[in-house]
Amino acid sequence: MSIHSGSHYAVDLQSVSASYGSTPVLDNLTLQVHKGERIVISGPNGSGKSTLLKLISGTMKPTDGTVDVLGLRLDNQLDRQRIRQQIGFLTQIQQDPEIAVSVCESVLLGLWGTRFSWGKRPAKADRDKAIDRLALVGLEELAHRDIRTLSGGQRQRVALARALIRDPALVLMDEPTTYLDSTAKEDLVNRIAELHRQLGFTSIIVSHEPLSALLSDRRIHLESGTVQEYREVQP
Amino acid sequence: MMGTLVEAFSIPVIRHAFIGMTIAGATLSLLGVIVVSLHLTAIRFTLMHVGLLGAAAGLALGFSSTTGAFTLVLVASVVMGTMVNQKTVAASSISGLFMTGSLAGAFLLLAGTGVPAMQVFDIFAGNILMMTQTDVVFTASVGMVVVLVFVFAYREIQLVLLNRELAQVLGVPVDAIMTGMFVLLGLGIATALRLVGALLVDAIILLPAMAALRFARNFGMALVLSSLFGLTTTIGGFLVALFFDLPVGASAAMVATLLLGISMIIARISAH
Repeated sequence: MSIHSGSHYAVDLQSVSASYGSTPVLDNLTLQVHKGERIVISGPNGSGKSTLLKLISGTMKPTDGTVDVLGLRLDNQLDRQRIRQQIGFLTQIQQDPEIAVSVCESVLLGLWGTRFSWGKRPAKADRDKAIDRLALVGLEELAHRDIRTLSGGQRQRVALARALIRDPALVLMDEPTTYLDSTAKEDLVNRIAELHRQLGFTSIIVSHEPLSALLSDRRIHLESGTVQEYREVQP
Repeated sequence: MMGTLVEAFSIPVIRHAFIGMTIAGATLSLLGVIVVSLHLTAIRFTLMHVGLLGAAAGLALGFSSTTGAFTLVLVASVVMGTMVNQKTVAASSISGLFMTGSLAGAFLLLAGTGVPAMQVFDIFAGNILMMTQTDVVFTASVGMVVVLVFVFAYREIQLVLLNRELAQVLGVPVDAIMTGMFVLLGLGIATALRLVGALLVDAIILLPAMAALRFARNFGMALVLSSLFGLTTTIGGFLVALFFDLPVGASAAMVATLLLGISMIIARISAH
């Protein structure tokens, strides 16, 4: 384990390559993300966008290069587990979920592995925190509703509350606005931007859709596993 | 009516059958929540066909059809669960492969060994009234394993059913849980085969969960309702069979069908 507590970077990838079996996905990629910075990564399907998030979240190991996240080098299982506790993760919307889960429970599940797991029950304080996070996205009144009864936009706001329940220093978002209608999309973008202002987390958003400048300080375009374009966004 | 009940329950075979059905209704029905939530209806149908091949193999090799069915369903659930996790083959392709292969294998075995087909097809009807005390203990053990897994991994299962990608990032052992759920499903189907037969396994495993998910507002409620509807199905079916001298499996399946039909009507009315 190596810790670089003085690092200015939330994420520091150096000469990283990754592959699925014999198929290379990322090739010698170097990327540094400052603490509090907002990055949007775009690119076509298969360009390595989601692989990049898997490397940063520690669910995939690079074949070459180093991955440092929040000052911790992810070169063993223990460090990967430690870093996951400080990361929030927002996936693309789950379409037509079949499972009955209350909105509050759905948010609470974001604390798995930190406050409870395997038969250990969450405390009342954890439930209170779930309600608090729901209030951040304006859905506390729906806490006891079944998620299946919510609209797509509301379900994605619940997922955002879940991503924030760990008080993450880094939030990874994988296609967060895909399948949302334009109104829900705009609403979600505005909420993420506002919450970033309030909470100051670093965010890395992967999206094949053009996203509002509200969410990005820098834009990176990936193609065939390498950075094709790198652009600072003017305020 | 009470006299009939007392008289019936004085017979050990009836008692065993009733206890077995009650335990299965209360516990195996929990597995339906997984089947519906993960869209595994094709997989569970495939496992029933694997049961048929197992029954044929059991008879051909000189042991019981139930043992054959049980063993093969369990092995198939492990193999299918592993294949689904590896994502090299789509779940629907795996279902097609195993279902067609099992049926072909069963018919070839029947033709090659001269085992009477009707004996193999007994697996479709079940033989609840042949239950021994050992069978009851076995059913109770399987039921207890199912309940314990849901208690111990309550939130892990929820996370996997809700969002597998997120579960993986949080550190939940998604592949192990998926394989475990397949094995549990295989175990449940193999146990239910003995009670109500392959064709009516859905009455215990699937239909109560489908009805429960129409009313549940959270995962816990879905499990409790599924268990209650499962109990209603098996106890109701058993009593109907007893009083009207009908087959137990078919009676339970009819109760489950009515229960699901009523739940659909109520859910539709309350939606308006």
